[in-house]
Amino acid sequence: MTTPTMNRRTFLKAAGVTVALPLLESFAPLTRAASAQAPRRMIAICNALGPCPDYFFPEKAGRDYELTPYLEVFKDFRDSFTLFSGVSHPGVNGAHLAEASFLTAAPAPASPGFRNSISLDQYAVEKLKPSTRFPYLALATSSAGSTISLSYTQAGVKIPPHESPKALFTKMFVNSSPEETQREASRLKDGHSVLDTVLVQARRLQGQVSAADRERLDQYFTSVREVEQGLVRAEEWTKQPKPQVSVPPFEDIRNKEDFHARLELLLRLAVLALQTDSTRLITVKIDLTGEYHNRSHHGLNPDNLARLREIETKELMILRDFVAELQKSKESEGTLLDRSMVLFGSNLGNANMHTTNNLPVLLFGGGFKHGHHLAFDRKNNTPLCQLYVTMLQRLGIETDKFGSGTGTIKGLEMVS
Amino acid sequence: MPARLRSLHALRLASVIGSICVAVTARAAELPSFDEQVQPLLEKYCIRCHGPDEQKGKLRLDELSRSFDRFATAKWRQAVDRVEFNQMPPKGKPRPSAEERQLLASWVDGESQRAELARRAKDGRVVVRRLNRIEYQNTIRDLLGIQVNLIDQLPEDGSANGFDNAAAALHTSSFLMERYLDAAETALDLAISNRLKPPPMIKQHEGLKDPRQGKREDVYRIQDETVICFCSSPWHSVSPRLNPQEAGYYRFRVSASAVQSAGKPVTFRVTQGRTRLTGKSGVVGYFDAPPGEPRVFEFVQYLEKQTSISLLPYGIPSSREVIAIGADKYEGPGLAIQWIEAEGPLNDVWPPESHRRLFGDMKQKPAPAYNASTRVEVDSDQPLVDAERILRDFTRRAFRRTVSDADVAPFVTVVKDKLAADYSFEFAMRAALKGVLMSPEFLFLHEKPGKLDDFALASRLSYFLWSNPPDDELLQLAAGGKLGTPAELRRQVERMLSDPKAANLTENFVGQWLGLREIDATEPSIRLYPEFDHPLKVSMIREAELFFDEVLKHNLSVANFVASDFSMLNGRLARHYGIPGVDGWEFQKVKLPPESHRGGVLTMAAVLKVTANGTTTSPVVRGNWVLDRLLGAPTPPPPSDVPAIDPDIRGATTIREQLAKHRADAACAICHTKIDPPGFALESFDCIGGWRDRYRVTGNGKAVVIDGRRMQYSEGKAVDPSDVVEDGRPFKNVDEFKQLLLTDKDRLARALAAKLTTYATGAAPAPLDRVALDAMVANIRDKNYGLRSLIHEVVQSNLFRDK
Repeated sequence: MTTPTMNRRTFLKAAGVTVALPLLESFAPLTRAASAQAPRRMIAICNALGPCPDYFFPEKAGRDYELTPYLEVFKDFRDSFTLFSGVSHPGVNGAHLAEASFLTAAPAPASPGFRNSISLDQYAVEKLKPSTRFPYLALATSSAGSTISLSYTQAGVKIPPHESPKALFTKMFVNSSPEETQREASRLKDGHSVLDTVLVQARRLQGQVSAADRERLDQYFTSVREVEQGLVRAEEWTKQPKPQVSVPPFEDIRNKEDFHARLELLLRLAVLALQTDSTRLITVKIDLTGEYHNRSHHGLNPDNLARLREIETKELMILRDFVAELQKSKESEGTLLDRSMVLFGSNLGNANMHTTNNLPVLLFGGGFKHGHHLAFDRKNNTPLCQLYVTMLQRLGIETDKFGSGTGTIKGLEMVS
Repeated sequence: MPARLRSLHALRLASVIGSICVAVTARAAELPSFDEQVQPLLEKYCIRCHGPDEQKGKLRLDELSRSFDRFATAKWRQAVDRVEFNQMPPKGKPRPSAEERQLLASWVDGESQRAELARRAKDGRVVVRRLNRIEYQNTIRDLLGIQVNLIDQLPEDGSANGFDNAAAALHTSSFLMERYLDAAETALDLAISNRLKPPPMIKQHEGLKDPRQGKREDVYRIQDETVICFCSSPWHSVSPRLNPQEAGYYRFRVSASAVQSAGKPVTFRVTQGRTRLTGKSGVVGYFDAPPGEPRVFEFVQYLEKQTSISLLPYGIPSSREVIAIGADKYEGPGLAIQWIEAEGPLNDVWPPESHRRLFGDMKQKPAPAYNASTRVEVDSDQPLVDAERILRDFTRRAFRRTVSDADVAPFVTVVKDKLAADYSFEFAMRAALKGVLMSPEFLFLHEKPGKLDDFALASRLSYFLWSNPPDDELLQLAAGGKLGTPAELRRQVERMLSDPKAANLTENFVGQWLGLREIDATEPSIRLYPEFDHPLKVSMIREAELFFDEVLKHNLSVANFVASDFSMLNGRLARHYGIPGVDGWEFQKVKLPPESHRGGVLTMAAVLKVTANGTTTSPVVRGNWVLDRLLGAPTPPPPSDVPAIDPDIRGATTIREQLAKHRADAACAICHTKIDPPGFALESFDCIGGWRDRYRVTGNGKAVVIDGRRMQYSEGKAVDPSDVVEDGRPFKNVDEFKQLLLTDKDRLARALAAKLTTYATGAAPAPLDRVALDAMVANIRDKNYGLRSLIHEVVQSNLFRDK
């Protein structure tokens, strides 16, 4: 794979200056010279509670679908996204627990012996081996009631999402003092020698244990090695100055209930991360929060439905503003959105009933012929993974399988 | 739902039920011969559609492995279950006789058991288990002698079969290893002291600062140094003037009394600064201030630096009422706080105990650093000798067993290498200690197939009863090979259950068995449940925990978990339950009046709350909870193609009416005749566990007025808690339902034995372990089904004593 980042990084190092936003435009010629094209990116957002389907799905399929109350929010972006209906993950049930399978499609997440499988973003990480400062970002609005992640490793191990935009902002954009950098570097070196020692130990143990246990120790082994590789990468990056952005540092939002503000902040961070090419793969989980959760169990009560509509409209407007921001950022000859897929969906088709079929799904940008409502069979759903396969191919990964997907989704055409 | 799907649904349900019913009886000795008996049956009934010519449902029986590995077992099981329930061969084809069906089933049962036993002989029943994050934190605390929160630094653990210490679900990942690196560093930083002198101690005794500063509302009365607070509005909580520069333990003494309270105590809560108030965290405690003479309340609390505590009266009116009259003229009850004394950080010895545990009295030399000119570090004249000595002791405790030279050597090598790279002695030691804390010997519980050795047994025991590593007594017994006798195990279990660390069993086992950890998962709707408050939430959890402790302490019958004539209540909960004569915050054992409908865990507010969401209750969720948690027979989740019920709180229909359609369907009825009855019995309790004769609804209904105030909800339809249990016995209400459950105490005991075994060993018993569970039950039957006896039985069983 070509690594345009390396070029940017080298440039920064050579120039020794800090550059204010917008970065990409000023870098565009350089990037293009290096790799002919700007990188492809993916942002996957899962809302733990499906937007109320009655306000979401239009009746008509195709290009002339009518604007429903929720789609009204996106009316100026009609040609920038595709709406999907009649899609879901076969065999994925378990109400809220289905969150864990939104990007993995692993069936029966509520069963006692459930083990997850690799998520869409991590699959891309494994295939593309990104050289960006952050190979990927897993983010969550996080709340007391929920700690399910969207991102899972090959072994089905949960990757805990970042919960503090402030800490992440610092990690991404704030250069540490030389002393701190020095300390960090020696800490990383220490980590090395510690891990070397335990690897010797683990190897000694492996000879003494039963076959089933050995498999577990192998997992430990692999984990330690991965950390080591991560430490090497981190050491490399400590030598590179961080990109500078002309926005005030982020502060965390204390109120866990205010998922709107938290989401907005995360998405602002996501924009900066993409603009500075700090990462190309992002997952964002919108967690359950008290009032939203309660209202989603609206029980057909009109007050609840009205409030639910307010809450969800506001949420969708934040999403719209995020997409608009990507569209405003220029790179190469187009916009950041042109090469960034933004997937928005939910693990629940109807939160009042906890159903996991007929999932609401939107895909913005990324270089597709948009503007359609792709309506699949509501009774006999199409696997959502068909879309995931399309997205992986768009990222440049040669595969025709992912999860329960055995090919690309019908009706979604790529453009340049 | 199309007919085809419906019958599939029925098949899936039946197959699960089938495996529960028939799995346990076959004996390996009587196994039918495959060639002579099984093969001809397959030829006769199955192979035409599931053989070389056709593979309907992608199933080919003539080539399905007879090795009975886990995959093949599942396939065979599915096949015979369908035959057993007359769903295969399909209608119109010749069907096997009852004897033939029985023969197929016993062959599959027998073969799969034989295979499972062979697997266990080779690998053991439980795969190597990693410490979960709670156990990890406790182990670090115990090992280093520090108070530290590491749980929040670590990713959440997976869980299986209802517990987060399930070996199979405790995977390792690079994220986890990274966090372990950080956590080890945090812990060592805290344990090792780099100061020559203890941090200066704060000691103050004074009244509160005038809490009115900056607040406009007139809710306090100030008399000399005493502050009287007249409202329970959280923004009027009061704090002592305290701004500690050091984290540590602080001793607080608070003098408080109730005023104008008609001779009753006024309860107040103490919360910790900068922590979130949930069901389990953030609160230091609730206390009862007596009327008349002030009482002094003393407690020791760990504080992060620059945090303090806050006090707030509980259960008196909100600020609005006192503002209307003015605090000076107000005649309602209030909380008077005369003074608050604070002292800390508490350090009995210096360097602190945690430091001494590692380095004893080793000398310290100046090692100034940026911003810390008086910093010191441990130094050594014979670094490698000291390193070897310290690391030998540390690895022994960290690995929970005796250690060999080969165990210690790699860590001494780290010290050697670091010293060669010009590290100071202390920093070289830190690197080595970190290595020990990252080692697989520390992070995993190692057990060898077959009977556990004494060290492995000591660990299994201590993580079961304490969620903590074995103490010196256990390790010494293990080192002497004396732990494994039945008598010694019995003695140790008694000793350990009487130790304060046994609170972890309640916290972690009960917290998951009864689902108490889910207490914050949903917040009851304010509109429907305006009476729900934090003290009620905390009281609910305490009731369940104290109840378990009481049953355990006095070895009471496990049947108490279904029905009991007592519970552990305080004033807040008693009010919620409508039980008179209990006041104040303190919990007490209360004899329940017969008409209370309480007693047992089923009707505890905590359980009723965690099985509801914030607005509605579902008999399906609650019924399934009863089947899983109390009866040991969970039902599978419904297939995704069955439309769920659209909950409706407007009041036009009840959930029962909605479910009636469901049960009328034969396929649904297979499970729902089991699930719904317990759920209906519990319909008499609302989302927060309050008794109800009628539903609360937000739509049209009769107005509800309490204390002259019109509630935001109305009275809906009447609750009908009656139903018929699966075997046909009817019940009118929850009281009668409990009595029906009590007729099969063996079943209750067996279900709990299975839960305890799952938690104790890190793996759920398999169907073939029914024999072992039955033996436990048989042994406690004439001991009145005592809970303590049951725990002894679990520990003495081979399920516990073998890997």
